Amino acid sequence: MRAFPALCGAELRLLLRDRAQLFFTLIFPLLFILIFGFLMADVGEVSARLGVYVSPEANGDLLVSVVEESGARSVQMFDLPALLRHAVEAQDVDFGMEWDGTTLRSSYHANRVTENATYQQIAQAVASTLELRRQELDPVLVSERYDESERQEIRWFNIMVPGIIAFSILSAGLFAVSGHVAAMKERGTLTRLLVTPMPAVALLAAIAVVRTGVVFVSTLITLFIAWGAFGLYFSVNWIQYVVFVIGSTLGMMGLGTVIVLVVRRASSAANVANILAMVMLFLSGVYFPLEFLPPALRALSQALPLRHMAEAMRYATGVHDMSVTHFWVTTLALAALGLLLLPVLAAYVVRGERR
Amino acid sequence: MSGTLGVARTHLVTALRERVTLFWFLVFPVFLLVLLSAVFGRIGEQGGVQFEITVIDLDRGQPREFSDLVLGLFSEMAAPPQEGGEPLFLLTLPPADADPVRFLDEERRQLQRGGRAAVVVIPDGFSRAVTARLGGLASGTGDAADDAAKLRIHYSQGTVASEMAAAIIEQMLAGVDREILRRFGALDEERAIRTETTWVGGGDAETSYIDFLLPGIILMGFFTNGLFGIPGSILFARDRRVLRRYWVTPLGVPRYLLGLSIGHLALCALQFGLIFGIGRFALGASVSFRSPAAVAFLALAAATFTALGFLIASLARTGHAGMAIANVLNMPLMFLSGLFFPIAGLPAALVAIIRANPLTYLGEGLRAAVGVEAGTTSTLLLVGVPLLWIAVSSAIAVRKLRWDVAR
Repeated sequence: MRAFPALCGAELRLLLRDRAQLFFTLIFPLLFILIFGFLMADVGEVSARLGVYVSPEANGDLLVSVVEESGARSVQMFDLPALLRHAVEAQDVDFGMEWDGTTLRSSYHANRVTENATYQQIAQAVASTLELRRQELDPVLVSERYDESERQEIRWFNIMVPGIIAFSILSAGLFAVSGHVAAMKERGTLTRLLVTPMPAVALLAAIAVVRTGVVFVSTLITLFIAWGAFGLYFSVNWIQYVVFVIGSTLGMMGLGTVIVLVVRRASSAANVANILAMVMLFLSGVYFPLEFLPPALRALSQALPLRHMAEAMRYATGVHDMSVTHFWVTTLALAALGLLLLPVLAAYVVRGERR
Repeated sequence: MSGTLGVARTHLVTALRERVTLFWFLVFPVFLLVLLSAVFGRIGEQGGVQFEITVIDLDRGQPREFSDLVLGLFSEMAAPPQEGGEPLFLLTLPPADADPVRFLDEERRQLQRGGRAAVVVIPDGFSRAVTARLGGLASGTGDAADDAAKLRIHYSQGTVASEMAAAIIEQMLAGVDREILRRFGALDEERAIRTETTWVGGGDAETSYIDFLLPGIILMGFFTNGLFGIPGSILFARDRRVLRRYWVTPLGVPRYLLGLSIGHLALCALQFGLIFGIGRFALGASVSFRSPAAVAFLALAAATFTALGFLIASLARTGHAGMAIANVLNMPLMFLSGLFFPIAGLPAALVAIIRANPLTYLGEGLRAAVGVEAGTTSTLLLVGVPLLWIAVSSAIAVRKLRWDVAR
């Protein structure tokens, strides 16, 4: 009975001594959060810092009132069109509008290729409203928005953080088997462990317990940094969160098992896991919304576990909705994948000992 | 000379034989190029993004002219465009026998769970209210008529796709609104506002995303190649005691380094050829790297990242430690350089990293050289900072790099 805690202790010491592994488990997700937190703070906001120049002969008040209603984050007035264009070029404002009473000229930075579509949308809305106001008309097709999210205001980065957490679970689970176990097998460490009365499953269980524990701590640190440093909103259902971290770590260990069964060399298995993780990261809606993907890749993403893990983690942290049944089916399917493949992994470990 | 070229050939052939190297140096940059251009290159274009929306028509009154107009508009936007690609909307309409109120509740739940980007409701009496408004009768109909005249757009705040869909629907409706007002003679076309667009910071038009992206991806390829390839070659050869065999030959360290650098530059050239070829011929990039300034910046980039590779090799004790250091540096330097994201408005600590990052200058310099960016940084800095990195890295490498395993 004492053997299992001893195995867990040894496994934990191994992990804590491995600085590279520790870096990728604990520090790497934080680095992600800190860099992307600043870089992507505004992504998804249909808003802009707008610069406005009104020539002396035009009615500026009307334009300014329309611009202020347009959802622009800030409006800065300029005395000369050249100064406004310079500000656009220096990215002190996101785009500019020049109004001489008959022509509304919008100036955009030619290289803000991913953002200009939003700015053009805002400019078009301003032009339409200004047109009506100038002719003292009210729109006849009036629409009104109803927010159905039932959550606090959430930015894209808020949705991205649970995706990054899901990715760190995926990495930890995959590399626990395709990196750690495969390397132990290649180095012959398993041979020494398996001559003891300890069954192979107990060793794997110890690895699963320690890795799940460490990844759980890592996800908590990430969550708290995201909340503390960037003021992000989370409403965590802790039961769902804990069960999901356990289930998905097991599931990814199962996926790691599939990799080591297909790829024989430890270094190759780790490389394949690394490549798979990276490809999944870009196709699972972690960095950008799935709606942006071309239809074929959107369909492909359905087959990627990271997509479902990211969605379930968003649900458990309260930033996105899904049905409760969908959440539990995802979590239990991942756990079942891990548990069903555990005996297969045990057989792989023992087969290594017999060689 | 043959020994030097032999080292160069060995470095190149080894890199090309290893599937993992091939993936990270050649396949991954191409994958990113294709993916990012497919994702961000189509934003704002018809067929670029598709939204699943639902339209529920609750208008039971007569006439139905404007309700039918709105329904027709959404159906039109859900039809496949003539020029190919997918329609803007994937439209769901209630089945004929569905209870509209229960259907609306179910669709709102779908919206909350991300299954719909927006749900548009045409309220009962909508068409009559619009007609009344047009006829100048709205002033006497009171609040109830005003509410009936409003289309309801249910969306989910914080969900990027939903917010985009709501904004696009509003824009479409504004266009239809203008057309209705024009047809009914309410809008005076003579007094219509003229709109014009000016582009600054580049050429006379918006830079295409693929032209903007291509120099960045090429630099990313060179960067990962230098950061991982150089220390990998030196450190793993040192760990396996392969390097010490070189030193008993007449080759010597300087010729080994020259050979390694030539092999590395050949790999960079191969990377450039593949990424540029796919960008140009498969993805339609029009940017040219033929100018002397562009060639000079490409060469400067390859040299800078080679020097960075030597720096990492001199700091690491083993090959695995070298890879770990390269991994630690890889992501922060890549993302904090402006290659992929705008870097305006960041905190001072990150700005300091950006200012010290050679990739920042190489990225801006190369983009300016190929004509997709009117750089704001002086040429002295664009060239000087990477040269400083080469000097410092080389100086440290000369002092610290060990050519055999520690005894």
